Amino acid sequence: MKTNLLSGRSTILKFIALIIVIVALFSVPSWGSQYTVMFFMLVCMYIGLGQMWNLLAGYAGLVSLGQQIYIGIGGYALAVLSNYYGVPLFLGLIIGGLVAMLISVGLSYLLLRMKGMYFAVATWITAEALIVIFAGWNYVGSGNGMFIKAVRGMPTSTIYYYSLVVAIITVIIVVFLLRSKLGLGLIAIRDNDSAAETSGVNIFKTKLYCMMISSFLTSVIGGLFYMSQVWVQPYAAFAINWTIAGMFIVVIGGIGTVSGPILGAIIYVFLNQYLSQFGGISMIILGIIAILVILFASKGILGTIQDKFGFEILSARRHSDRTFTGKPIEELEGSNL
Amino acid sequence: MDALIQSLIQGVLLGGLYAAIGIGMSLIFGIVKLTNLAHGDFLVLGSYISLVVTSTLGISPFLSLIIVVPVMFCIGFVVQNTMLNKVLSKGAEPTLMITFGLSIVIQNLLLYFFTADARNLHSSITLKSITISDGIRIPVIYLISCVVGVVVILILGAYFKKTYQGKAIMAAADDLEVAQLMGVNIKNIYGLAMGISIATAAIAGVMVGMIYNFYPTSGSSYLVIAFAVVVIGGMGSTYGTLVAGLLFGLAQVLGAHFFGAQAQLLTGYIVLLVMLIFRPQGLFSK
Repeated sequence: MKTNLLSGRSTILKFIALIIVIVALFSVPSWGSQYTVMFFMLVCMYIGLGQMWNLLAGYAGLVSLGQQIYIGIGGYALAVLSNYYGVPLFLGLIIGGLVAMLISVGLSYLLLRMKGMYFAVATWITAEALIVIFAGWNYVGSGNGMFIKAVRGMPTSTIYYYSLVVAIITVIIVVFLLRSKLGLGLIAIRDNDSAAETSGVNIFKTKLYCMMISSFLTSVIGGLFYMSQVWVQPYAAFAINWTIAGMFIVVIGGIGTVSGPILGAIIYVFLNQYLSQFGGISMIILGIIAILVILFASKGILGTIQDKFGFEILSARRHSDRTFTGKPIEELEGSNL
Repeated sequence: MDALIQSLIQGVLLGGLYAAIGIGMSLIFGIVKLTNLAHGDFLVLGSYISLVVTSTLGISPFLSLIIVVPVMFCIGFVVQNTMLNKVLSKGAEPTLMITFGLSIVIQNLLLYFFTADARNLHSSITLKSITISDGIRIPVIYLISCVVGVVVILILGAYFKKTYQGKAIMAAADDLEVAQLMGVNIKNIYGLAMGISIATAAIAGVMVGMIYNFYPTSGSSYLVIAFAVVVIGGMGSTYGTLVAGLLFGLAQVLGAHFFGAQAQLLTGYIVLLVMLIFRPQGLFSK
């Protein structure tokens, strides 16, 4: 088995195109306005959010409604560490991620025994309980939340670079993870969990690793988001809206695909920014689009295109060695099998 | 002591209301095997429709049920037949996401038309209460809502046991193919079940609207209550829902009594989580 990052006939062309796109993205702050940079920054954050929700729901079969747990933890960890202990922001992001990872390990032991909607509800209720706890906890400013003082004066472009790197990392991790042994196990579990278990896949461990990765990166994104917002507040940080966003992004783009959440994030941020002047309309339209997509193109925009044209931009699929075409028949006959 | 008795009475009365909030969700889980994440939002939609009816016609919220219940039944029927039935065969995720999408759409439509202001349903009865002793008063509206909840559940129980249509729905819930072989017309069974489910949610919505203020975003807190009742009572169990409502109502009120009003929500969440972790099949299933 040979694994390539890029599949298809024009591997090199695609690779060059990818490099150009990434370089172009890194150059945004040098030519774009403040608004453009902010737009791309949000797209990057939502790509990461979507990828991490997709890792759980699209691949591990864990429909989580509690990604906001980690967003909130990321934001609060950054605020507490930088305000009270003077920890540098970058380190704060990493520590916040580790805290979120620890929490996800604890939650995994409690929640991973549940299936389907029980898991969905339990993650959501956990987040709701965290709202109540953080809103009554004086150390973290209770209902008013906290200002992240160290962020003052930080240019948007810095946060943008961080977000871009995190978005790229989430994409790379998903692609490589799914091609690894862990990914094979995941696909086996998704298709038939009892068959996978008898074949030696450890279901709990496989799902646990997904939870850990997802919580770490989601928490870093939460930290980055609150670096740009400056103010963390419990009702917003632990709001279900985060999971709604992740879900829309993945469903619209294509659940279980790697490039789907990228397209989904662009559509989401664009609609959100463009429609924000009309108040709640943006959410109504997003909701209707998501329902229509599930009803009529259940694999999302990119998933449907991929099925029709057999074309994938970023593939998480394993490929057998293309140069291997099987042994010629004469050779087999000659070997006296 | 009086305060404790007051809390206990309030908890029991809340229980009937909680059962009414949860019964629709329990039904739909038992029959269609789907989780309706928009249940709470349909409930609040019922409150708002009642608000429109009472304010335009100038009638009491109780009378508005004559209009609200059929309207909500039709909404449930249409939602099931045009959307949810189409993706039932594709597993749990698509239905979860469609109902989640519906929840967002309903919430934001309400926000758009009614703004984020607090609303409530006026009735001359809302402020009356029965005085038992100095410290113990029973608000009449709590008593009525509890009775309404119990009656709704008894009627549903009788409907599923006694009527042909009810038995047909239950048969389809047990085994769709066999029910069909026995001559049950299964085409609209799920639509009917969802219609009934949403109609009960609307009844609960009108009761809730007379007791508490409601906002376009109130749905999620009622979804939590519905979930708790369904999980504690066991999915699809009609009378289990009633007992579960009582237990959950008591747990919340006692939590508030001993640990302060802030704890009411948290106690509820913790009871629900503990149930989910240790006994997700409910207290009353085999």
